[in-house]
Amino acid sequence: MSAAALIEVEGVSKAYGGLQALSGCDLSVPAGSISGLIGPNGSGKTTLFNIITGYERANAGEVRFDGRPITNSTPDRVFGLGIGRTFQLTRIFARLTVLENVLVATQRSEGWLRGLLRLAGSASERGRALELLDFVGLRRLADEQAGTLSYGQRKLLELASLLVADPAVLLLDEPAGGVNPTLIKQLAERIRELNEAGKTFLVVEHNMEFVMSLCHYVTVLSQGTTLVSDRPEVVRSDPGVLDAYLGGEGVEDSDAGEQAEPPLAAAQTSPERVRVGADRDRSEPPLAPRPAQLTIEGVVAGYGGGDILRQVSFEVPEGGITCIVGPNGAGKSTLLATIVGLLRPRLGEVRFEGERLNGLSPGEIVGKGISMVPQAHSLFPQMTVQENVELGAFTIRDRALVAERLTAVIELFPIVRERAREKAGSLSGGQQRLVEFARCLMLDPKLIILDEPSMGLDPQTRGAVFETVAVMNRLGRTILLVEQNARAGLKLSTQGIVLETGTVRLVGTGREVLEHPEIAALYLGGSVDDSRTR
Amino acid sequence: MSATGAADPGASAAPPGPVNPGGAKRRLTSSLLVLVPLALAILFPLVESGNQGNMSIAVFALIFMASVSAWNIFSGYSGYLALGHAVFFGTGAYTIALIGTDWHVPAGWALMALVPVCGVVAGLVAIPVGMVALRTRRHTFVVVTIGVFFIFQTLATNLAFTGGTSGVQVPFVSWSFSVFNQRFYYVALVIVVATVALSWAVRRSRFGLQLMAIRDDEERARGMGVRTARVKLAAFVLSAIPVGMAGGLWAYFLGSVYPTSAFDPLFDIALALMGFFGGIGTISGPLIGALLLESLQQYFTQKFSANGLYLIVYGSLFLVVILLMPRGIVPSGAQWLRSWRAQRAEGSSNPTAGAGVAEVTR
Repeated sequence: MSAAALIEVEGVSKAYGGLQALSGCDLSVPAGSISGLIGPNGSGKTTLFNIITGYERANAGEVRFDGRPITNSTPDRVFGLGIGRTFQLTRIFARLTVLENVLVATQRSEGWLRGLLRLAGSASERGRALELLDFVGLRRLADEQAGTLSYGQRKLLELASLLVADPAVLLLDEPAGGVNPTLIKQLAERIRELNEAGKTFLVVEHNMEFVMSLCHYVTVLSQGTTLVSDRPEVVRSDPGVLDAYLGGEGVEDSDAGEQAEPPLAAAQTSPERVRVGADRDRSEPPLAPRPAQLTIEGVVAGYGGGDILRQVSFEVPEGGITCIVGPNGAGKSTLLATIVGLLRPRLGEVRFEGERLNGLSPGEIVGKGISMVPQAHSLFPQMTVQENVELGAFTIRDRALVAERLTAVIELFPIVRERAREKAGSLSGGQQRLVEFARCLMLDPKLIILDEPSMGLDPQTRGAVFETVAVMNRLGRTILLVEQNARAGLKLSTQGIVLETGTVRLVGTGREVLEHPEIAALYLGGSVDDSRTR
Repeated sequence: MSATGAADPGASAAPPGPVNPGGAKRRLTSSLLVLVPLALAILFPLVESGNQGNMSIAVFALIFMASVSAWNIFSGYSGYLALGHAVFFGTGAYTIALIGTDWHVPAGWALMALVPVCGVVAGLVAIPVGMVALRTRRHTFVVVTIGVFFIFQTLATNLAFTGGTSGVQVPFVSWSFSVFNQRFYYVALVIVVATVALSWAVRRSRFGLQLMAIRDDEERARGMGVRTARVKLAAFVLSAIPVGMAGGLWAYFLGSVYPTSAFDPLFDIALALMGFFGGIGTISGPLIGALLLESLQQYFTQKFSANGLYLIVYGSLFLVVILLMPRGIVPSGAQWLRSWRAQRAEGSSNPTAGAGVAEVTR
């Protein structure tokens, strides 16, 4: 690493009670580089981000920016120095307009009195803000309330709202998480352009292809310490990294790269992938056709600002795994909200086992045997794991039955017993997912709806989560999932559905959809970059 | 601009939003929305000068309009629910009463000139109160503001110079009955206009944008360089000043100050209720909320004296508004207007519209 380090982290430690999140962690971000920070869930990546940006205090160690110590500063000072960050769960100012969101950071540490006397956004600042919105492709939405944006759009807005302050370094926490491949590609291009213009980046990301192709240097964290820090090709072939990061099971590596791979080439081209493909094939053979359990017929729905779903019709066969894929903003979450009764369709019908669900309350629909695990973080963080799981069955009065279910659930998810008395908020992302699954099983649902079960998980955990989905299916539950990681989701599934701009574009078996020539153009886009092979 | 932009006189003049072809028309509409109510307010005493009962109601209504509007500058824009603004109201009331009696300020306009001083004293009191209370957030903040309020009420009862439970008499002003109400009315109106101007200025300033960013996500606002502690404290103090002035005027209007009436827990609650009723975070909402609720309350008190019957009507009205317009009159009204317009626009282009509106039931 020839260039001078812009951000240096030396021997930083951080403990939360008994949990050692970071212990003597080192990191160096050379000026003008794109640096990657990777590691399994719970390895301390976000904690390190929080310490650098002043959100949390380190117990030991030092953080330097441009040679000056900034350890235990405050977020506003750190930002004033020129370090901007995004958050793992995208954060925007929901009730401000998109443009106002960008304008918030235009001031750099001025007094409140000057702030009061100055209009929010001079002509030049608004011009600059609009330019940045143009840069991320959100200009036409400038006057919309930011809360109406889709997940992917929020990520872009978050980026634009940092850029307006022209920070020297941008810390991005999972920029590609929950974002569709086409958008990931755009994002990578934007990051490269900004980097060429002189900006330094530090990126936390689970999408390995994204990291390996984009970054000049990659640092691997494992259990709170720096394992290795080097060029991507060195890190990639480091056996220690593979062991620590992938739990010794290299095969799972495929998942990380898959959404970024050229869609059809993945399984055939590299020999490594062939093994992966073969391994995956042991998952369920397509089931024989079964009667439809859930029927969606001509559903038109939206949130008042126009229809998001336009005439959606499909069936979910009993006992299968149905996977819905599609670009961000296609209406996947809206569709799920319509099924579980959070949103009332304007037209059309949802039927479950022949019975009309339209007009039933979400509670009544749960009572019919449909249980949903929402997109992320639906556990009550201050309650214990066991309390969370028991809450899943709070509608059941029969205590013996609850106990019986709990035993069955624990058998499937040992973590529920192992961590029973710990607060759910202290679990890692992957562990929380499993507890969420456990909770949803407490009602013994016939149909389980999963919204992006793999979001934000490292490849190893993601593999475990998909495995669990398959197990729940084998135990006789119908599964309907929405998955951004289309390749892994479709491989697992007996039926695949492609949703695009509120309509169903393709229906078929998981494999058919996956291999359909149109899907590449429709959904998967190209590979993040072909420069990987340069 | 928030969701309330359409119905908000100040908001349409705020900078964000490209210049649209209908700009001139919108500017006209919004200036009418400001000028017509203002003209009505100025002309009101000329029409009602014979009816002293209504004039007195109007003075109370204006005092509350100023107070709620000022409260909204802090609580509405920052999202921090302050339930202790009676501290500043009471401070203003005691300031005018004590300075007036102790320094023998002649009653009349000289005493009236103390009203701005009441605002300054309330603002000074707000600095330490804000520094303590704003160390906390959300529910804790609410509880701390209530706690601070009771400390002040206790102090007013027990300190040597406040006259204890017997209170303080404000020097008596010998204006004739009709002139009396009219003069107080216009002073109150000036305070209201100044407060609304302040509220409007805050809303379209950088400072206001930072406050609203704090409301939406304080942690992220910090991470984007907003010095949240300062911004919040500044807004807190700014919002205390007009409340102090309103308190001073109120004490002068009534002629006496007691610990229980100047530091009244119902005042704390009234500000929040009137704010929510009209719609917090907007400019016009607090004005409408205070005007409706305070006038109604004073009217019922006059009509049915203090037998509490009015509370039933008052409560029912409140329930109806909360049921039909859960975000307050102005924001919910604006939303109705928008969806009505959207539906009308859609109706002409989309034949399936009108079959029913998609509805969020959560």
